[in-house]
Amino acid sequence: MTYIVVGGSSGLGRALAERFAAAGCELIIVSRDIRDTAPLAAHLAIKYEVKVSPVAMDMNSSPLSLDAIDEALDDHSPLKGLLMPIGINSDDDVVGLGAATLLRISRINYLSPCQLINHYLPALEKSSGVIVGFSSVATARGRSKNAAYAAAKSALESYFESLTHHTADTGLSCQHYILGYLDTNLAFAQDLPFPKASPERVADVVYARRFSSGRQFCPRPWYIPYRIVQLLPWPIFKRLAF
Amino acid sequence: MTNGIVRKTCFTTFDGTLSLSTTHQRPDRFSHLESPDTTAHRIPRGGGYSYSASSFGESSLVQEMTCFNRFLEFNPQQATLKLEAGVSLIDLMEWALPRKLYFPVLPGYPLITVGGCVAADVHGKNPYIDGTFADWVNQLTVFHPQKGYQSCSREVNPNLFAMTCGGFGLTGIITDITLQLAELPSPAIALSRKSVHSLEEAQFELASSNADIAYSWHDATAGGNFGAGIVYTGHWTESTEQLKPMRFRPMTASTRAKLPLSAWNRVSARIANSAILLHNRLKSDVSVTGILDACFPFASNVYFHKLFGKTGLRESQFLVSEENVGQCAQALKELICETSAPTMMLSLKRFKGTQKSLSMSGTGYLVAIDCYRNAGTDVFFQRLDQLILEMGGQINLSKDSRVPPEIAALTVSGITDFKNNLFEYDPERIMRSELSARLGLL
Repeated sequence: MTYIVVGGSSGLGRALAERFAAAGCELIIVSRDIRDTAPLAAHLAIKYEVKVSPVAMDMNSSPLSLDAIDEALDDHSPLKGLLMPIGINSDDDVVGLGAATLLRISRINYLSPCQLINHYLPALEKSSGVIVGFSSVATARGRSKNAAYAAAKSALESYFESLTHHTADTGLSCQHYILGYLDTNLAFAQDLPFPKASPERVADVVYARRFSSGRQFCPRPWYIPYRIVQLLPWPIFKRLAF
Repeated sequence: MTNGIVRKTCFTTFDGTLSLSTTHQRPDRFSHLESPDTTAHRIPRGGGYSYSASSFGESSLVQEMTCFNRFLEFNPQQATLKLEAGVSLIDLMEWALPRKLYFPVLPGYPLITVGGCVAADVHGKNPYIDGTFADWVNQLTVFHPQKGYQSCSREVNPNLFAMTCGGFGLTGIITDITLQLAELPSPAIALSRKSVHSLEEAQFELASSNADIAYSWHDATAGGNFGAGIVYTGHWTESTEQLKPMRFRPMTASTRAKLPLSAWNRVSARIANSAILLHNRLKSDVSVTGILDACFPFASNVYFHKLFGKTGLRESQFLVSEENVGQCAQALKELICETSAPTMMLSLKRFKGTQKSLSMSGTGYLVAIDCYRNAGTDVFFQRLDQLILEMGGQINLSKDSRVPPEIAALTVSGITDFKNNLFEYDPERIMRSELSARLGLL
């Protein structure tokens, strides 16, 4: 069975690719730079002796041309899963940001994942597969910072809920993870108030739950600060600078 | 400055004697590694296990290569493996062993990266038979910000290849390496231990041994027990004894230094060494152990290093010719006993090879000495430098974080040629570290 890992060359995407390859799954790894994707494909093929195809694709293009993934799929066993650990944020992501950045953040965090879901949904329904999406604890509430990012990820959460509703009786699993801090390059230079979870740990959770549906915090304790932020009265929330 | 995320990090040498705060990037993709500012100084870093500050330096961006840790190409007919520089030795061995292959030159700790091993041209447990790490490297790719990606081997671009093996990252960032693997004779080693009373006796034992693994350990505390030790020799065995998998908890320069003070001093060092010698007398002479346990003795036994605490340790390694080793052992004993030096342990290995670039190699015996730190440590090391000079010894620059430039110039024969070649290859010396600054390679 084949899984597509979008954003699979580094961070959580790489950890997911490693985890699923270790379990003997065939993979199609998609990322922007083939120089990153091809070495990972070679690595997984050598280490786990599974079939892995690298595909270069920029999730910022609109509309996405998915021909390269489709061509790669022709050489693989039937599609079983679509994993989309993709996302991008920007230091200048505040209300009033420029159109180019706004579009880029919207495409990569929301529009492209939706297009991927729509394109591969029929095949995944047929194979009773799994679609996995990832958003962030930044969606708890709109803040001054990460304005477009949080909005795009909130939109993705909503789309996943619709997807789960739409496919409720089809045997397809829809998982949506709300991620806390992860020890990836995104958080490398940040001084954060909570510990960072390892991408490998998150990948283990995703793999173990690959046949179930629903929304989950990862790591789970992030539910508590997430809910606290949601319940903060406005007079207090508006004073917080984060 | 960089096309990737950069933070400020305080780096410390593994011996705990030198710390420095500088910019730090952990690239996980090629576009980050390349970084748009091609004029900024930088230096690559592997696992961070070097005793000298060769992977960080003032005003140099440290590019940690641990995310570049992928296997790229395996040729089962030739038993060659192309891999990225950030692959750790344990990952390499855990992949190779089930395929009945192994890598013969393994330094003492499993999380050292392959790139770091090339850069320091490290040695393993029997350099007399196996040579040094570079002897098993077929090809390299080196990235230099102003020159791009350069492939080199003994046949193609041989000067760059020679400078990079043992060049401490000063020619550029090694991105991939093609290693020659060896067929695994068996999964186990029969490790013999023989008690000896002196360095001379150990040298005789090592000289007459044809073992696959051969080295000695000695009590180096000043006093009557100086030189008493154990000679370890190992042979591949087909023993069917049940082997336990190697277990270890990763130790880094910072976790090594968790104790606020050193627990090692004259009394504790003598007690520990006596206990090791006694334990050896009570144990059977031969034990069967897995290849990983035999090659990475410090992985499961971390207390020796951890007990040096935040104060740290000093180590010196030097190579002395076969003709001079006896005289050197005697002079060393006199120096340590005369000065009541803070020495703890000493080790001998037989060596065969040719010195190149900044690496330590040649034919003779490797002497390694570990000291706890007190008021007498630096004085002892200054006198040790003189002794090494008198004996025509060659210092291992990766193991001693304080070697002065004049001593390095006199004891590392290839340093002048290396400097001339480096200045011609990279007139701006983009790659810089504390080590290169200390040795005048700027």
